[in-house]
Amino acid sequence: MKLLKITVLTCFFCATINAQEDYTKALGGIEWVKIASNANVTVKTHSSNELLIKVGSSYKTPERAKGLKLVGEGGSDNTNVGFYVIKEGNNLIVRNLRKSKAAEIYLPASQNISVKTNWQGNIKIVGFKGEIEASAELNGSIGIEDVSGPITVNSLNGQIEVLFAEVSQSSPITINTINGAIDITLPENTPANLSLGSLNGDIYSNFELPTLEKDGLKSIGRSKIKSSINNGGVKISLSSINGSIYLRKN
Amino acid sequence: MKKKHFTDLLPDYLDGLLDDIQKKQVETHLKKCAACTKELESLIVLFNSFDAEKELEPSDALKSNFYEALEQEKQEHSKVIALNSKIQSGKNPWMPNLLKIAASVALLICSFMLGKKQQEQKATTEIAALIDESLHIKQTAMLSLMENKSASRRIQGVNFIEEFTNPDETIVAALADRMLYDENTNVRLTAAEALLGFTASETVISAYISALKTEKDPGIQIAVIQILVQIQEKKAVAPLQNLLLKDDTQPFVKKHIESLLPSII
Repeated sequence: MKLLKITVLTCFFCATINAQEDYTKALGGIEWVKIASNANVTVKTHSSNELLIKVGSSYKTPERAKGLKLVGEGGSDNTNVGFYVIKEGNNLIVRNLRKSKAAEIYLPASQNISVKTNWQGNIKIVGFKGEIEASAELNGSIGIEDVSGPITVNSLNGQIEVLFAEVSQSSPITINTINGAIDITLPENTPANLSLGSLNGDIYSNFELPTLEKDGLKSIGRSKIKSSINNGGVKISLSSINGSIYLRKN
Repeated sequence: MKKKHFTDLLPDYLDGLLDDIQKKQVETHLKKCAACTKELESLIVLFNSFDAEKELEPSDALKSNFYEALEQEKQEHSKVIALNSKIQSGKNPWMPNLLKIAASVALLICSFMLGKKQQEQKATTEIAALIDESLHIKQTAMLSLMENKSASRRIQGVNFIEEFTNPDETIVAALADRMLYDENTNVRLTAAEALLGFTASETVISAYISALKTEKDPGIQIAVIQILVQIQEKKAVAPLQNLLLKDDTQPFVKKHIESLLPSII
C-alpha cells in the first residue's frame, strides 16, 4: 500500500516537472484553432479550456543553437517549445516551426479545429465533438477517431481513415483524396445521403447500397454512387481519383 | 197644358224601333201636331235619300293591291316563332317552373364556382409570393453560408443550389467565386460539381475555363476537365492543351486529358 502511494506520488511529481516544459494558453473567445505543421501532428482532447502543447522530455535545443531563437515560416518561436502561437481575431494560429519534430497538442473536445500538414506530416485527431478540418497537402496520411463531425478532410497522397462515434446532422461531411484510399466507419444506424466516387479506384461497402451484393465487402463499380442509408440525412461525400473507398458499418 | 213634341222619337218611329205604347202616343200626337208631321215628312225624305244612295264598292284593283301589300308584309316578317309555344304545348304544367329552378340552381353553382376560382387564383398568387419569399430567404442564407468560416458550412451553402431551379446571376457568380477562390479544396470541388447544372450560363463556362488555368489540385482539375468534355466546350481545348504542356500537371491528369481531348476536337 505504502509502495503504491509512493509510486503514484512519484509519477505525479514527474508529470508536474514535465508539464513545466509544456506550453499552455487559455482559449477564451477562440472559435477556431488552426494548427500547421510540417511534421506529424497528434491532436487529442483534455478537460481544461486551454491549448496544451506537450513536447515531453525528448525536446532539446541543439547545442549550436544555444542563445539563438528558432525562426520559421510565418514567425519565430514564442513558446519555447518550438511553436509560434498567435491570436488572429477569434482564431488561434498554432504553427510547428521544427521541420521534423512531431507535436502533440491537447484541446477541449468542443473546440473547432483545423489541422494542416505538408511534406511528410501525418495527422491524427482523436475525440473531438466540434468541427474538424484536416488537410495533408503532400504525403501525410490522416487518421481521425471517435468524432461526430462535421468534418472536411483532404489529402494528396496519404490515406484517410475516419471512425465516427456518431454522425452530426448539422452540416455536410466531405472527404477527398487524390492518390490515397478512404476508409470510413459509420455507426450502423447513421441517417445519411451518400455520394461515393473514385475515378480509378474501387468502392467497397457493407452498407445496403443499391446494386450491393450481400455478405462481405463487394465492389460496386467505378463511377459516382449516390445513395441514402437509414432514410437519408446529412450529406456525406467521399471522393478519390486513384484510391479505393471503403465504407464500413460499425 | 204644355204641348209635348215627340221629335226625338221620330227617327226610331220610322225605323220601327219603338214599343207599342210609344208608337201609339207618337201616332196620336202626329195627327194633332202639324209641326211634328212636317218633321216626320222631312225625315222620310232624308231616309229615302239615304236608301237611294248607291253603296260604294271598292274596285278590284284596290282589293288586289291590298292583298299584295299584305302578302308582302307577311313575307317580310315571315319567320316569327312564338317563344313560348313549345313550353305551353308541353303536357307538364310544372315544366316552366322546374326550368326556372334549374336555371337558378345553375346560376348559383356558376357563381359559387367563379368565386371559388377567384379565391383559388388569389391563393395561388399568395403561394407564389410565399415561394418567392422563401427563395429569397434561401438565397440570402446560401450567400451568407458560403462566406462562413467553417468549410463544412460553406459546402452546405454550395449544396443549397439544389433548391433553386432558376438561380439568378448573383448566386451563380458566388458559386463560381467559391470554385475559383475558396481556400479549401473540398469547397472548390463541391462548387465545381454544383455548377454543372448551369453550363448554359456564360459566367459558368468562363469560370470553368479560368479554373483550368489556375487550379492546382488534380482532383478539381479532373472534375472540371470531365465537365467541359461532357458539355463539348470548344473553348476548353486551348487551356487543356496548355495543361498538357505544363511541368507541374500530374501525369495521371495529363493521361486523362489525352484520353478525353479527341472527343471534343
